[in-house]
Amino acid sequence: MIVKGGTVYDPANGIFGEEMDICIEGGRITEKAAGEEIDAKGLLVMPGGVDAHSHIAGKKVNTGRIMSPGDSRSGVEPRTAVCRPSTGYTVPNCYAMGYRYARMGYTTVFEAATPIIDARHTHEELKEIPILDKGALTLFGNNWEVMECVHDRDIPKLAAYVAWGLQAARGYGVKIVNPGGGEAWGFGTNVKGVHDPVPNFDVTPAEIIRGLAQANEMLRLPHSIHLHFNNLGKPGNYSTALETLELLKDIKPSRRRQVVHVAHMQFSSYGGTSWKDFESRAPDIADYFNKSSHATMDMGQVIFGNATTMTADAPLEYANARIAHAKWSNYDIELEESSGVVPWVYGRKMLVNDVQWAIGLELALLTKDPWKVLLTTDHPNGGPFVNYPEVITLLMSRPKREAEIATQHEMAPKRSTIATIDREMDWGEVAVMTRAAPARVLGLAEKGHLGPGADADITIYDLKPNEVDPSVDHALVKKALAAAKYTIKGGAVVAKEGEILQAPLGRTYWVQAEVPAADAQRLMVDLQEKFDRYYSIQLSNYMVQDAYVANPVVIRPPAREAAKEVA
Amino acid sequence: MRTISIKPLRAFEVSVEAEVISPDRLAALTFGQIRALEVWLGNRKRKLSDLFRVEGDEAPASPAETLVRLEGDFSRVKRIAEGMTAGTVEVLGGAGMHAGNGMKGGQLSIQGYADDWLGREMRGGKIIVAGSAGNYVGAGYRGEKCGMRGGEIEISGSAGAYLGEHMCGGSIRVSGDAGDFPGAANQGGTIYIGGSTYLPGAEMTKGTITVGGNARVLPGYQKADVVTIEGREYQKYLGDLVEKGTGELLVAAS
Amino acid sequence: MIQEDVICSFCGCLCDDITAEVEAGAVSRVRHACRLGASKMMGHDRIKGPMIREDGTLVEASYQEAYDRAAQILLAARRPLLYGWASTVCEAQEKGVLLAEEVGGVMDSTATVCHGPSVIGIEEKGLASSTLGQVKNRADTIVFWGCNPAEAHPRHSLRYSSNVVGRFTPLGRAGRKIVVVDIRETRTSKNADKLVLIEPGSDYEVISALRMLVSGKAVIPERVGGVDKADLVALAEILKRAKFGAFFFGLGITHSRGRYKNVDNALSLVAELNSYTKFVVMPMRGHYNVAGIGQVLAWSSGFPMSVDFARGMPYFNPGETAACDLLARQDADAALIIAADPASNFPRSTVQALARIPVIQIDPYENPTTLLSKVVIPSAIAGIEAAGTAYRMDGLALRMKKLIDSPYPSDEEIIGQILESVKRQREMSAGGAAR
Repeated sequence: MIVKGGTVYDPANGIFGEEMDICIEGGRITEKAAGEEIDAKGLLVMPGGVDAHSHIAGKKVNTGRIMSPGDSRSGVEPRTAVCRPSTGYTVPNCYAMGYRYARMGYTTVFEAATPIIDARHTHEELKEIPILDKGALTLFGNNWEVMECVHDRDIPKLAAYVAWGLQAARGYGVKIVNPGGGEAWGFGTNVKGVHDPVPNFDVTPAEIIRGLAQANEMLRLPHSIHLHFNNLGKPGNYSTALETLELLKDIKPSRRRQVVHVAHMQFSSYGGTSWKDFESRAPDIADYFNKSSHATMDMGQVIFGNATTMTADAPLEYANARIAHAKWSNYDIELEESSGVVPWVYGRKMLVNDVQWAIGLELALLTKDPWKVLLTTDHPNGGPFVNYPEVITLLMSRPKREAEIATQHEMAPKRSTIATIDREMDWGEVAVMTRAAPARVLGLAEKGHLGPGADADITIYDLKPNEVDPSVDHALVKKALAAAKYTIKGGAVVAKEGEILQAPLGRTYWVQAEVPAADAQRLMVDLQEKFDRYYSIQLSNYMVQDAYVANPVVIRPPAREAAKEVA
Repeated sequence: MRTISIKPLRAFEVSVEAEVISPDRLAALTFGQIRALEVWLGNRKRKLSDLFRVEGDEAPASPAETLVRLEGDFSRVKRIAEGMTAGTVEVLGGAGMHAGNGMKGGQLSIQGYADDWLGREMRGGKIIVAGSAGNYVGAGYRGEKCGMRGGEIEISGSAGAYLGEHMCGGSIRVSGDAGDFPGAANQGGTIYIGGSTYLPGAEMTKGTITVGGNARVLPGYQKADVVTIEGREYQKYLGDLVEKGTGELLVAAS
Repeated sequence: MIQEDVICSFCGCLCDDITAEVEAGAVSRVRHACRLGASKMMGHDRIKGPMIREDGTLVEASYQEAYDRAAQILLAARRPLLYGWASTVCEAQEKGVLLAEEVGGVMDSTATVCHGPSVIGIEEKGLASSTLGQVKNRADTIVFWGCNPAEAHPRHSLRYSSNVVGRFTPLGRAGRKIVVVDIRETRTSKNADKLVLIEPGSDYEVISALRMLVSGKAVIPERVGGVDKADLVALAEILKRAKFGAFFFGLGITHSRGRYKNVDNALSLVAELNSYTKFVVMPMRGHYNVAGIGQVLAWSSGFPMSVDFARGMPYFNPGETAACDLLARQDADAALIIAADPASNFPRSTVQALARIPVIQIDPYENPTTLLSKVVIPSAIAGIEAAGTAYRMDGLALRMKKLIDSPYPSDEEIIGQILESVKRQREMSAGGAAR
């Protein structure tokens, strides 16, 4: 197949709006090809979208569905010859997830947080999501074995556990959420900051984060640690963000990438001392990112309307539910994690929500290098992913931002700098934030770009970048981004003008890291004891079996010699 | 006034969904168009004329000037008058579930028995039932905070359980008894029950429930004063205190 | 041959520490299981082969004949009910959803006669819960309300709750306060520290009274549900003094007067207790994979039970789309019953309705539902003869093992074959009458 004459944006290969052909052979991009030609003359062509942080599969998502039949009854689409029925808006069913991402031109999506013991469930849902290539990040930040290794300063054993945990969960990378706080929540409390010791474990969140970062680099995992800060969602928490980022400055990455990826930075960029004087501190955060090079972030943009908050930050969810007097689901997971789900609404006239909305945009617009900022809404916490075109057009159009601000609470402009920002992103920057950077941050070598050897995941949008001014014609742009003219996945046209043409099963990426036998043996002594005494299931039934990952892509980082630390 | 008469052609093997039977949907259409409208017999899509005979005035009109008369057994026909905004629907017998779903205006009258979920999520308009009604009259959808927000429902007979669950506005009047848990989780609106009921106003935060017969009262309701309304004495309670509610529950004192 | 860490396929405890001895292609001995589980795993008389009822008598048929006849019945139906699902694995349940979509039927599970009201309660309030290992390691106060695990979930207290020793519960039973709330004494209450007897049908009021007391509102009547105020005050104190409380509930709440309202009130009580201490709540799921069908239906359709696919889109409205609702109203004109026995468990009027429509039964064993069936298809026993996924009562997923080979096809295969037959027959008649 050849995609002919598109206006191509492939930032990873230095291509910004060149007219060129893209050749596909055997599901990959090649130098030359023959066969079917797709006429993309003058149209915007990009690699398929990559979403590095979204809640698409597993217990939290399903709990969100179960507790909100009202959500499921919206967004209902009937069965067709190709598609199973779709339901839901903030918590779509599995089929809707795949179809809706594909319609927008996204082809790779990673589940943000999976507890190891519950990973089987996650994979059962992942396999039901059609079209997309997927992976799932594995939670480690509140884990008893992790905390004990950190306490003992035994990074090699910690690395052995991380490798084992990724195998057990068929996970892709190390996710850390409110480290230590999830364990404290086991008895109903939380940690107050990165140096606040975790009850019963005598370690601090700072130690957990550093320990896992070191283990991550010791294992040479493709992705860095992926971190949801302590104190998320609290006024004044920007100081925790900066403090935590500083903790990791000296750690050397084992690959050419960041040392830490910060999840949904918006929720951790808060100033003020309470909801009354709540304000944005995004400029401080952006400033830090402009001056440092060891971190990346994703936005966590807020979208007005319904959302469902779902996170392993269980104490936060309890607090949310109390504030909003909302229904509340909680799920604490033995030896490993906690989580909560609370349906939510972001109101256009709610001052706090307006400031949150501004912060996400500020972070992207004030950070100079778009390679450091991935576009997300932390679906569905900030809002459903189907609203990405809304976020993109807000970034590209100052007039659109102004029009939005005019509908908001009158005090809102005083609480952030969004009204003063002129910057309008261009297609190259958008392609970075939604394709090239997520792939690089995750360490996916064949995604997010259109060089030879890359997976043939390509999106053609029905708009001509050389003829459309996104600043003025943002409505047109949003419409075009919502339904790609063509979404090509692995060299097959899966979606065309909003219609799903085929729904093949995508692949699941997971990482199998090797560790020295001696470290693995020491680890097994600990694990044997934990299963004998504390877990409620047997070790032999714990790990995710092959049957659950039918179409895997296994990444095997290079092994290392025994006990060689990286940082 | 355009009168459209609809009669079932036979007894239906399974329930029918016919949300097209509403002045809004029918008023401007010719009989040919009406007969071609889509209805569902279980999982079978059918034309309206496959299941019903349509007669009456030919000339298209506005919804407000349209009367839809349903004769015969509509007890297994669901979603009659759904979303109606104007005009009249008269059901000479009983009506199936979800009659008057999401109604916004106009009038729906039912001579016989109105099955469950009458006037679910109603916004406006009026529903009159000469017979009795089933469960979930004027209720909401599962898990949603606000069901009925406006409009009036009047039932001459009795009503089933969960009357006006999640009500946020509007009024419901039942001359007879009501089943368990009327006015559950209410945030507004008015309910009058002429007869007796059981545990009214569970978790109500705002609204008024008046009971002319007996009622078993929840522990979260605190006795206030005795009031007289239209010559009758009622014991007033405030609650439901489990939700810090300021709703009013009036139960006949004699 | 001895197989360890086998997962029992009886109740929602999903004990995964069973040892099974397999001899001559059968399970000869079972260790660690309770007598309910052991009985299931050891098995008993099976249905020998597929049968189709001709002139009132069940006659032997081939599997293909049975699949085709089943498909025929489903295709002819305007509102087919696909019911049961709780005692088979998720892989079969997923095929079931495909079949329900294909034939435009209603899919419902045994939750409808069990914890369906709990699901509705969760839709109102959410569920503040945990895995059973959290209870094992942390709970110092446990409430069993309207359930009798000593009889229905025999190893629950041993493995997960009252008696088990965990990291922060080194004293096991001695370090715990066990409270039973019920309308009568039970085997569970005999081993509890406190039994609170309430009047039948008064669960809602008692829970409301407790909510008042927990949040410091002392103004409640002197007696609620047959319980003196002083006893309610004492109970509220126990709950608030817990370091980690666990509230387990069962059919005593879900099926007494109030039904889902009782559950939603209990869920609120637990949510409110979290303002004072740590508390979790968990329904005591009956069948070993009833939690699984809820998960499967939710991720496939957005709704956990009672899903109607008649119009090509999932529609959920328990009270209208639940199995008992349809049967009570004679609104189902065919039924496929798999891994369940409604003839034994349903209200009489609905069983009579079932007797009037063509029924397809898929089960390893004969039971009263077989007497009503037009097509009987024996299946392999999930968890013994077929592998697959099941979800424990606390939502954790485990993989059931295959211990022995079997000539019987698995549920997954059977449903898959019926689906194929439906598609084939539909294609063949595509030139004929439209659906």
